[in-house]
Amino acid sequence: MLTYEPGDSLAHGLDPRAKLAVQFGLAVAVVAYPTARGFAVGGAVALAALAAGRLSPLSVVRAYWPVFLFLAVGPLVGGAALGEPWFRVGRAVESLRSVARVVPVVFVGAVYVRTTPVRETRAAIQLVVPGKVGRLFGVGVGLVFRLFPVVLSDLRATRRAVHARAGQRRPLRDRVRRILTRGLQRSFLRADRLSLALRARCFAWNPTLPALAFRRRDYPAAALGAALAASPLLGLLP
Amino acid sequence: MIETDGLVHRYGEAAAVDGVSLTVDDGEAVAVVGANGSGKTTLVRHFDALLEPDEGTVRVDGRDVTDDPVYARTRVGMVFQNPRDQFVAGTVGADVAFGPENLGLDRAEIDRRVEAALDAVDMAGRGDERIDRLSGGEQARVAVAGALAMEPDHLVLDEPLVGLDRAARESVLARLDALAAEGTGLVVVTHDLRDLVGLVDRVVGMADGRVALDAETERALDRLDEVGVRDPRC
Repeated sequence: MLTYEPGDSLAHGLDPRAKLAVQFGLAVAVVAYPTARGFAVGGAVALAALAAGRLSPLSVVRAYWPVFLFLAVGPLVGGAALGEPWFRVGRAVESLRSVARVVPVVFVGAVYVRTTPVRETRAAIQLVVPGKVGRLFGVGVGLVFRLFPVVLSDLRATRRAVHARAGQRRPLRDRVRRILTRGLQRSFLRADRLSLALRARCFAWNPTLPALAFRRRDYPAAALGAALAASPLLGLLP
Repeated sequence: MIETDGLVHRYGEAAAVDGVSLTVDDGEAVAVVGANGSGKTTLVRHFDALLEPDEGTVRVDGRDVTDDPVYARTRVGMVFQNPRDQFVAGTVGADVAFGPENLGLDRAEIDRRVEAALDAVDMAGRGDERIDRLSGGEQARVAVAGALAMEPDHLVLDEPLVGLDRAARESVLARLDALAAEGTGLVVVTHDLRDLVGLVDRVVGMADGRVALDAETERALDRLDEVGVRDPRC
């Protein structure tokens, strides 16, 4: 699981709002252009983002393998049929196109997570979405970023504990049931402890957030995001 | 000053804390000892208004903690038994800053407090490091820094030395010693007084949710068996 890692890469130095703009713009563009050219542009943006965050595509695939596995299964399921012919290539390709659109967004999202402290994300969200909605959204994102890696680590620990006592000899269904049940119990326990820690340290809905500064180097990234987001409008031009 | 008066806390029918009246003065270093399940942790969690009394009152500087929990939590810093339960951020600096940010302080003051807190636990200049990559002793010190950044009068530490090796224990103890010397009150919950004899002025022993022993450290050492705690001199 990729989490924030302090560093001095170009992506680390960008304002989170600029990075969010690129993500948003890319998501809009890849949905608007489900073509080879659209995928090429999305791929180029993803590669540029990976380079800016000094992150290898392989490490992203390793970290998010369940996501990629899920995406890979999509075309197979999409092409499968209940009668002759048992597999329809046309439908599988159509599904593959949809999946291919998501891949660059996952890569850019991974770069964002790797290079942006959670509280800066919260500050960016609260600046972009003002009022209670922004505060609620910011707190939600913060809690998810905090809890999700811990819950994953708990699931891994449970799996290790099952294997440590020759649990792999049990049927797969039994192992999955044990890991999920224990994982769920530990998740609730974690949530309880986090709630206690937040209260002990005077949790506030409106704390002092990090000061974000939009600097010269953020403008090209924000412009790229805006251009990608506006790209579907090109189709409306006469 | 922390005061409890007739404090009762029940889990279901069982009273974990049963009529405790206690006073901890500013600058005092107190060990709260007792066997497992004697009510130590439940008692100190009331100091920070993390639990609500079923009966009795808890006051910090004369203010009822139930009426003003934020005041209690700024004056009494809590360090949990497992530091990992306390961390709410991924990096050292972000976690230590969490409390002061919640108080709505300005950025310069937050930065000053973070720097001072990290300095106090010998972690200066390590704000950018990932907490999950630190050793157990370093994590324990960061947890103390997180509480110190609130600039409390009292620091409550729940079993701060459990699970630490000798070097880490000495490092944490040295920091606690320095804090006590600077006037920060300490309330240390423990079931093992071995490393704390030189640090605390007073020992409060709990048994079955009640205070069974309350004496200066030297005198208390002879009566530790009354609360199921081993004499550290043996």
